[in-house]
Amino acid sequence: MITVSVQCLGVFRELGDDFDVDVESRSVLAIRNAVSAHLIKLNRPDLDRVLRRSIFAEGDELLKDHIAIEGSTVSLLPPVAGG
Amino acid sequence: MDLFSEITEDRWKCGLTDGPCQTTGLDLLVTDPAHGAVAQFFGVVRNHNDGLAAAAVDYDVHPELASKALAELCRDICAEYPVRLVIFHSRGFVRVGEASVVIAASSAHRRDALGAVSDAIDQLKVRVPIWKKEIGLDDEQRWLDGHSLREE
Repeated sequence: MITVSVQCLGVFRELGDDFDVDVESRSVLAIRNAVSAHLIKLNRPDLDRVLRRSIFAEGDELLKDHIAIEGSTVSLLPPVAGG
Repeated sequence: MDLFSEITEDRWKCGLTDGPCQTTGLDLLVTDPAHGAVAQFFGVVRNHNDGLAAAAVDYDVHPELASKALAELCRDICAEYPVRLVIFHSRGFVRVGEASVVIAASSAHRRDALGAVSDAIDQLKVRVPIWKKEIGLDDEQRWLDGHSLREE
């Protein structure tokens, strides 16, 4: 089992600056599923809906779901709203 | 402006600033003796949104990704238009009436400068990892929805 630190941005900051999830692999899909379970456990189905439209990043690289991360920290980016 | 990130190439400059963007002197950054047109856009925090009164917007930014996305945006705009271009965006608290994003472009003739500025703000809103938390007059706070970066 691997512990991944998820850095929160935008609306996910309602959960704090970051949180940890335990995953069996470093794939983004595994992390996404673990975050979804975490949000449901927190009784935040609203954020789980946002998660479906969100993307993960490692450093300055946006990650597709089939990618495996190299480290143990990712950023969670909800839909963007600059301007 | 309190810039904490700035990237400059030959024809463009972009950056992120803590607090509101400065609106004066932006045109001087795109001055070119061969250019007869300068277009500017200031995105200013307004006092209402979706029927609710607003006092300010608190901008959240992923510094590395936002800097990278702004630079890619500048490259794309300059590849499409023969312009000199500058874009700055705020992080943190910006009050009503203050600018959160400023864009200027210069070109030989007006259409390119106007088109570059218009495309730049349109694309910035859907490409750059920045988020808005609106602060109401009663200090109520709400995150605004936006554009997903996830490919469906």
